[in-house]
Amino acid sequence: MTRLFFTFLAVASPAAAWAADAVSLTSTVLVERQKLDAQGRPTVALEEPQVVVPGDKLVFHLNYRNAGATPAQDFTVTNPIPASVSFTAGDGAIVSVDGGTSWGRLAALKVKGADGQPRAALPTDVTHVRWTLASPIPAGGGGQLSFRGIVK
Amino acid sequence: MIKKSFALAAASATAMALALASPTHAAGTAAGSTITNTVSVDYRVGGVQQNQVTAADSFVVDRKIVLTVVERAPIGTTSVSPGQTSAVTAFDVTNSSNETLDFALGVTQLSGGAAPRGTDTFDVTAPLLWVDNGDGVFNSATDTQVSFIDGLAADATRTVFVVANVPLGLATGAIAGVTLTATAREGGAAGLGATITQTAGANTAGKDTVFADDATGGNTASDGAGFARDDYTVAAAALSVRKLSTIFWDPVSLYAEPKMIPGAIVRYCIAVENAAGSAAATNVSLSDTLPTTLAFVSRNAADGQALPIRVNGGLTAPGGTCDPATGTTGGSNSGQTVSATLEDIAASGAKTLLFYAKVN
Repeated sequence: MTRLFFTFLAVASPAAAWAADAVSLTSTVLVERQKLDAQGRPTVALEEPQVVVPGDKLVFHLNYRNAGATPAQDFTVTNPIPASVSFTAGDGAIVSVDGGTSWGRLAALKVKGADGQPRAALPTDVTHVRWTLASPIPAGGGGQLSFRGIVK
Repeated sequence: MIKKSFALAAASATAMALALASPTHAAGTAAGSTITNTVSVDYRVGGVQQNQVTAADSFVVDRKIVLTVVERAPIGTTSVSPGQTSAVTAFDVTNSSNETLDFALGVTQLSGGAAPRGTDTFDVTAPLLWVDNGDGVFNSATDTQVSFIDGLAADATRTVFVVANVPLGLATGAIAGVTLTATAREGGAAGLGATITQTAGANTAGKDTVFADDATGGNTASDGAGFARDDYTVAAAALSVRKLSTIFWDPVSLYAEPKMIPGAIVRYCIAVENAAGSAAATNVSLSDTLPTTLAFVSRNAADGQALPIRVNGGLTAPGGTCDPATGTTGGSNSGQTVSATLEDIAASGAKTLLFYAKVN
């Protein structure tokens, strides 16, 4: 179910000197299920998206890795929220509530309410999430980012 | 920066395309929709902007079967009269699934046991199902008699009427409980669709089916069917009639202590009473044929006093005799037969017919 796209630098690019530098990226989605453990206590398990119906909680994992030989700087990961998914939370992410035009912490953003007046943005208003890594990713380094949503 | 803004524009276009492809409802994303999450990375190496890297992951939204059957508001029993035809109870069937479905309908009657508002004591006859045309009111000219709902869209609600006849001879307070059951069937083509079964075992790449209906109101959870109960309660009129007579005048003693002698005039009182807790009795008609030993009179021939038939009078006391001061002139006579139609008689109420006859 996971598709992977690599976009290598074109040979004609002025950045041809770093042609070997590439970042690999995978996106996976898991479904959060409430289960009872052996003692009958509720536990949360993450499963592959087997049967997914509206209302199911999803966890999106974004795995990145610097497969090149040079550090990757100003590393920015942008993920539009799929239209059929309602955003709930994203660890350390900034978000956009206007289709990616402006960005910020959710608490600082406002949207136009039903009455035309600005109101505080809610998680359901989020259209994009973005992470900007403060420090360069060293060669061979990688990590994982995640955010959560609910199937509308 | 030009590159970055291009990337964002592309991302927005992707989001819009998805929005068009996957209509969402309160019931949720349509079954069979593919949700694709696309992530992109921008970065620099040695201070130079690199090409954007993207990755995507997709899955298909499965079919969640949720339906509810409830008694249609206003909640309450349907009050019926014995012998009433086309007595109506109403239900609302709501499709909260993420797909358009058909619903097979069935009506059953309780056989004793608890109806919503009491204990079931009788069965109505010939209960039929009708689907409302949208006005919420049963009308056999505009509504449709059915055995299923064809193509109920996600989030849509349809009103279903149970229309039945009430047998005669039932007492006030008798209750008939009816149960409407709706079972989800495949939507799409015209006519009742095929039975739906829950997808067993592991997920398939396509659209799977999950029964997610709950156990509200005694329903069985996760069976793809729902039911609700409503009831009919009989409100019968319980009439009793009493006939009383009083000697009114005789040719010797006149109005003072008259005796029942030939030529005397007798005042007859017919009292019709409706028991407490009954339905109002309407169109109550009375007819009284006098024996040949009596002759109907409308005036006293001896002194010319008018003695009209009076109707809709009251009683001097509950269970007492007619109060001749009440009521209005009315009724009619044809030879020896006196007849009248009384006004509606409410529960615990009484109405009277009062007339005079001469002893031959």
